[in-house]
Amino acid sequence: MSLKKFSELFGDLDSINSTNNKIEVLKNYFLSNEPIDNSWAIYLLTGKSNKRFISGRYLKNLFSQIYEYPQWLIDTCYLKVGDSAEVITLLLKNKTTKKNKKLSNISLNELLSKTIPELSKLNEEEKNLEIKNIWESLPEDNHLIFNKILTGTFRIGVSIGLITKSISKLINIDEEIISHRLMGCFKPSVDSYEFLINKNINLEELNSKPFPFLLANTFEDKIFKHSINDFQFEWKYDGIRIQLIKRSGNISLWTRGQELVNESFPELVEKISYLKDDFVLDGELLVWNFKDQIAFDFSSLQKRLNRKSPSRSIQIKYPIIFIAYDLLEINGRDIREITLENRRIKLEKYFSKWRNKTDNNINDIFRICDLIYPKDWTDALTLKEKSRENNTEGLIIKKKTSVYSSGRKKGIWWKYKVDPMQLDAVLIYAKGGSGRRAGLYTDYSFALWKDQELIKFASAYSGLTNIEIKELDKWIRKNTIEKFGPVRSLKPEMVFEISFEKIQTSKRHKSGIAVRFPRITKWRKDKKINDADSLENAYELMKKIS
Amino acid sequence: MKTNQEDLIRYKDGNLYCELADVWIDPSKPVKRALITHAHFDHFTFGCEEYLSTNETAILLKERVGDNIEIKTFDYGEEFKINGINISFHPSGHILGSSQISFIFAEEKWLISGDFKLQKDETCKKYEIVKTDYLISECTFGLPIFKWDETNKVANNISKWIINSPEKTSLLFCYSLGKAQRLLNEISQTDFKGNIYSHSSIYKMNNCYKELGIDIKNTIKIENKKQLDELKGSLILLPPSLSKGSYLKNFKNIQTAFASGWMSIRALRKRSGYDKGFAISDHADWDGILEVIKKSEAKNVFFHHGDSEALSKYLVSKESINVLSFGK
Repeated sequence: MSLKKFSELFGDLDSINSTNNKIEVLKNYFLSNEPIDNSWAIYLLTGKSNKRFISGRYLKNLFSQIYEYPQWLIDTCYLKVGDSAEVITLLLKNKTTKKNKKLSNISLNELLSKTIPELSKLNEEEKNLEIKNIWESLPEDNHLIFNKILTGTFRIGVSIGLITKSISKLINIDEEIISHRLMGCFKPSVDSYEFLINKNINLEELNSKPFPFLLANTFEDKIFKHSINDFQFEWKYDGIRIQLIKRSGNISLWTRGQELVNESFPELVEKISYLKDDFVLDGELLVWNFKDQIAFDFSSLQKRLNRKSPSRSIQIKYPIIFIAYDLLEINGRDIREITLENRRIKLEKYFSKWRNKTDNNINDIFRICDLIYPKDWTDALTLKEKSRENNTEGLIIKKKTSVYSSGRKKGIWWKYKVDPMQLDAVLIYAKGGSGRRAGLYTDYSFALWKDQELIKFASAYSGLTNIEIKELDKWIRKNTIEKFGPVRSLKPEMVFEISFEKIQTSKRHKSGIAVRFPRITKWRKDKKINDADSLENAYELMKKIS
Repeated sequence: MKTNQEDLIRYKDGNLYCELADVWIDPSKPVKRALITHAHFDHFTFGCEEYLSTNETAILLKERVGDNIEIKTFDYGEEFKINGINISFHPSGHILGSSQISFIFAEEKWLISGDFKLQKDETCKKYEIVKTDYLISECTFGLPIFKWDETNKVANNISKWIINSPEKTSLLFCYSLGKAQRLLNEISQTDFKGNIYSHSSIYKMNNCYKELGIDIKNTIKIENKKQLDELKGSLILLPPSLSKGSYLKNFKNIQTAFASGWMSIRALRKRSGYDKGFAISDHADWDGILEVIKKSEAKNVFFHHGDSEALSKYLVSKESINVLSFGK
């Protein structure tokens, strides 16, 4: 089957809002296409590790070169469309005049395993020619898919969950099993598709793969009705969730985004390899401040995450720690079905065994999380408020009798985050959004007072309703002082309440501060710009916390 | 170059105005004398002493706003004089009765394109090329990302969309005047042969078109809400204003689509909230605007309606055409 079919699938999925209908469409697609193409379709739709063959910028330059099209005009169009692959597709319309579309029936497999990989082997000039040639040989309806594959930008509202559900329906096997099979590196091949739709569940094959993560729900007031003793309390760390697997000597570190990150954290892999048992642990990876025994900010962790094979000096500068909070499997026995309480007992027992073997010396890299024991719910609330002192985001509350199921199951785990910090700030710049928000001004910059001057302190793009976005967009167009490319400077007039999670000093910013996760929580139409907060207020907030 | 004040046609209070003839073109507030290019409401305002338009536009307007307005009507191409200025209406291809307006004074030619398109539309007269010195053009879709598909290709896609979901009622949202009738005409030439229903606002315009001799398919007027759950497999034309709010609750098992030029962009399509978007417009696309500018042989071009920054820059740098802006 062909790229053409896949283009149609893309179009169908893109114009269906109902999840059930999407599942139906996917199921039918899988039924009527070859395993190898199905495999590629899954690979593309889940955006698992879509490789970017060329950048959006490169694609735009290439088009500009081939068709002698002014770059500024392409850029203007981009502001309206918000996706390079789509802009070029729209501009390509009626440009490719060749009658003989010899790639009309190219299969997804041929395109992805042959045509495109071969592009990477060519020098720039040959590559450009070849892309032009493909454009001319493909029917127009398939340009979008081709351009999106080239630029590695498949985001069309098809989640892994949706694929999981359709495969599960297709072969009538539990979603958990499919989701299990879909975890990790999905390499498109006949085998991988057939493994996916295999009606026999093969335990050995599943062995190397992580369990689906159990996710926490947002705290609900109704929990207050229950006895505090029904729950286990932990700090909510601000690191990355990791499932650490050691089976038959093989170690895998899986993120929730189903990425294998062994290479970024070799020192952890090494230390774990000294342990005698086999196990699967669920926990948090952090960059750790060993002096104060608290976590460093997420930004330090990012320095490690984005780097493969970190040097010894990076390892010392950003020392990591894995804090385990759950034991899911021990020496080949899946214990997810036993209660959290009992899993915790096992976790503590094994951990003390590992730690007491002094030659392991795992203390500086691997721990289990401390439990907190609030006396009552008021005490829990007080603890939550203190979470900033130890650089955590709040509490995680887990039902002691719960088993480890997958997904965001209700009534098992809750995250109880500390209330955000807030400042009222003045809107001073706006920038065009991309993707779904293209053509609207949706990226905003906010400022605080310093003497008589407004100093930019944060950028945010989330928090407004679609109606507010449209209203603000109109206002922005009418109240622009100056345009710099896609950015407009605005008449200082609008005040917004900005909430954020963390505030710290920063030399990179003119304001001298940086905030984490800034977002708009209220459009303060009731406030004049003189009512907005000053940098002084921000510094005070920072003092209060540290 | 002349100053704005000396131009035959200029912007005054946000409207196009010809001082020598003392006429306004599609004014947004009451004036003495108003030339109306076509019968869409954003080109019309109540309270003018005198209206001038084509015959069709007059009939459509009266159907929409009532009989008690005075409209002087003219045939396409018929010249008339006001204060020594020769004025005439010419087909603009936008909707039935829509026109460009030509002004000639002392051998200087001015042309207001009105809303226009070059694409196939069997429900109105084709755009007529009029040569001019000064062209005032609309610029609703003034970016090269806008390139319309052939009208029948879009109609076939709509037909497929309905036929492929026989268990559903297909709601197609479109402007009641012009777009709805063009779609009806096109869809009747596709494989879809099921029933078509129209909302009363569209039904009224359909009848008006028929009385003016335009051949469009008969539709069933949506009379009351009782019949609404028996509509699966059929097509219902509705004005976009009904897409939000409680009206849709009357229907069971529906799929929705919007027919508009903006639907060619995925982000806009997604944001619109309709299941599907069909990119079909009664305005010219990028190539259409360029073609009209070239064929009109205008040396000087003004734009109104829409963001013309990119198109202006393109014309000046690539086509060496003088683009002027109205002094505001």
